[in-house]
Amino acid sequence: MMLGYLGAGALLAALVMGGFSALLSFWAGARENATFVQVGRRGFYAGSAFAFLSAVILEIALLTHDFSLAYVAEHTDLSTPIALVAAAFYGGQEGSLLYWTVILGLLGSASLIASARLGGRVAAYAAGILASILTFFLFVLAVVASPFDLLSVTPPDGLGLNPILRDGGMLIHPPVVLAGFASFAIPFSFAGAALLAGRVDAAWITHTRRFALLAWSLQTAGLLLGMWWAYHVLGWGGYWGWDPVENVALMPWLATTAYLHSSQVQERRGRLRLWNFGLVIVAFLLVVFGTFIVRSGVVPSVHTFAISAIGPWFLGFLFVCVVFSALLLTFRSNLGAGRAPAPAVSREGAFVLQNLLLLGVVAVVMWGTVLPLVSGMLGAQRVAGAPFYERAAGPLLAVILALLAAGPLLPWRPAGRPTLLALRWPAAAAVLSLLLLLIGGVRSLPALVAFPLAAAAGATVVTEYARAALRKPRSILRRRRHYGAYLAHLGLVVTVVGVAASHFGQQEKDVTLTPGESVTVAGYTLTFTGSEQRQLLDHTELVAGMRFGDRTLEPSRATYAGLGGQALTHVAISTTLSADVYVVLAGTNPDGSATFRVFVNPLVTWIWAGGAVIILGVVLGNVGERSPVTELARRRVPVTLPA
Amino acid sequence: MTLVLRWGLPAAVVVACVGYLIYSASGGATEYYLTVSELRASSPPGVVRVAGVVQDDVRKSDALHVSFTEKDGSASMPVEYAGTLPDIFKPGITVVVEGNLGADGVFHARTLLAKCPSRFSTQPYTQ
Repeated sequence: MMLGYLGAGALLAALVMGGFSALLSFWAGARENATFVQVGRRGFYAGSAFAFLSAVILEIALLTHDFSLAYVAEHTDLSTPIALVAAAFYGGQEGSLLYWTVILGLLGSASLIASARLGGRVAAYAAGILASILTFFLFVLAVVASPFDLLSVTPPDGLGLNPILRDGGMLIHPPVVLAGFASFAIPFSFAGAALLAGRVDAAWITHTRRFALLAWSLQTAGLLLGMWWAYHVLGWGGYWGWDPVENVALMPWLATTAYLHSSQVQERRGRLRLWNFGLVIVAFLLVVFGTFIVRSGVVPSVHTFAISAIGPWFLGFLFVCVVFSALLLTFRSNLGAGRAPAPAVSREGAFVLQNLLLLGVVAVVMWGTVLPLVSGMLGAQRVAGAPFYERAAGPLLAVILALLAAGPLLPWRPAGRPTLLALRWPAAAAVLSLLLLLIGGVRSLPALVAFPLAAAAGATVVTEYARAALRKPRSILRRRRHYGAYLAHLGLVVTVVGVAASHFGQQEKDVTLTPGESVTVAGYTLTFTGSEQRQLLDHTELVAGMRFGDRTLEPSRATYAGLGGQALTHVAISTTLSADVYVVLAGTNPDGSATFRVFVNPLVTWIWAGGAVIILGVVLGNVGERSPVTELARRRVPVTLPA
Repeated sequence: MTLVLRWGLPAAVVVACVGYLIYSASGGATEYYLTVSELRASSPPGVVRVAGVVQDDVRKSDALHVSFTEKDGSASMPVEYAGTLPDIFKPGITVVVEGNLGADGVFHARTLLAKCPSRFSTQPYTQ
């Protein structure tokens, strides 16, 4: 009871501080009053600290099983393992919003501390925009969806966490995804601030790029962890279902991928300034849009994870953000004037084409996501399944893959003979792999396009590394960002190969076996050894034994009596280097036989390994690198770089 | 003029391609999403998705074959499905079946999705 009041009080204090910081920061920025700019910034820190305090209080309430709080009673019970009780913090609507707010406060504070050198007005406006966003979230938390609502009668025990969430993946996937979502607000705030202040120099891009990169990395990890979780827990043999929840996480990632590339054009050539602002802003708007779509239930989704009253508030927030951004970009469109355009066949041309294609993929995913909404308004409701996305986005992704192979080899100046010569290695790799595939009997056109292009992109990275290693090995260390990015490219290629192989090469078989019988799928033989019933702490488990080589796989079905007999399938997966053998127990029959669905998914491990390499590339390339701004400050050069 | 030719033209081509891809895929690769009564009223050809509530007559001939009646406010239809069932499948939940309505009046589903509980917990307490 006490904790409920304390938590609600902390939220209210955070809300007041957030609103105060927003108003003061904008006012002080406009007046260029350095003292009040600093006060405004500290108001943001204080608001963040109060939000953090309320999160600590909620966590204490969860861990001490304070069932007087509706949130605690609805998401945990006394038998829930302690790690999952702690994770229930972000397992529900209200808690996940609070978690989001706390991350926004922490990352926002970090970015404001780092931005002090950017110049008074930009930093002040950035604090103002960040504080406005923070205030919106705190308002929703305090008024619409409070995690500190009290129950009139305190129940003796709670309802418990849904069994699907009782999994280790729950401990890492949601917090990473939510942190990714929260972090897109930071590049947006600095973009908005720079536009408001009319400053579009390179210092802005350096600062924004770092936080965009952080958001991008978190989102990359979040997407991959989500895929990993879906694959290991949900038991349908796949990892991506084109569900709205997945789509809305993918879209800001795509837009930020575009920005990370096009921002280099601004850094190197001073062009595409307005475009870069637009990309950063679009990424954030996609996040807000996605949150609205997912949490309001306006489109049918398998997840539909918390239809609630917050939908209209997010729609209103989205509207305000869109209008604000559109006005900013319109009034500052004169800032975009750059120098003469670059040659079309050049690094810059490749970046621009890649940007357009990535936004094309965003458009496809967006259309597929809102199709039920739009078609429902016009007549019969239609939905887009995997075939839609494959047909519409597939060709675009193929061209992007081709650019991944060719782009890094193109020079910034017009491409000439040496460039064509440099393209011989990726071209050779593509032709070679195409021949190998044809000899191997592959006849599917998409597969014959995807694998050779991936091989070419991989060859490009290897060529670049080899060239540097042969000529001047130390340049790899000196140009860390450059070669870190290539490592991330290599990781992406590995992931693409894994996705393509598991997509084109998946085999599945439904089979009913009596003990002792075997089944062979794609050359892998499994023998059913019998099934047994096991009684565990809070559930019973029906376990089947499947002998696979010298291993025994144990797919099972758990039944939670305490939760109305809800069942949960546990997939058994045996990972080999070339494929995953993925066994789902569909059920047992009275005669002692059991029915299975067996999948063989080639190269799925490559997806996760590639993801790790991507993150490694980003970390090695960027962590600890001194930014040009601090470098200039250290050398006492004015920070306003020539644009 | 050169600026328009050099950048505008390729950009327009890309935009046109994206538009065409979306348009053509929308026509051929999307499905109707209907309730049982809408299906009864219109019965569009091809693969459709139909949402409705599972009735009490669930019959499993074995672990992979199930038949049941799906119903919404006013209309109902028999469904046959072969495949693994979602964990939360039971009478009373809302499911979305994807497949086509056969000439025999039975809906042959190739996929069956269960709507996840609207909260990540069982039932909210009424306050």
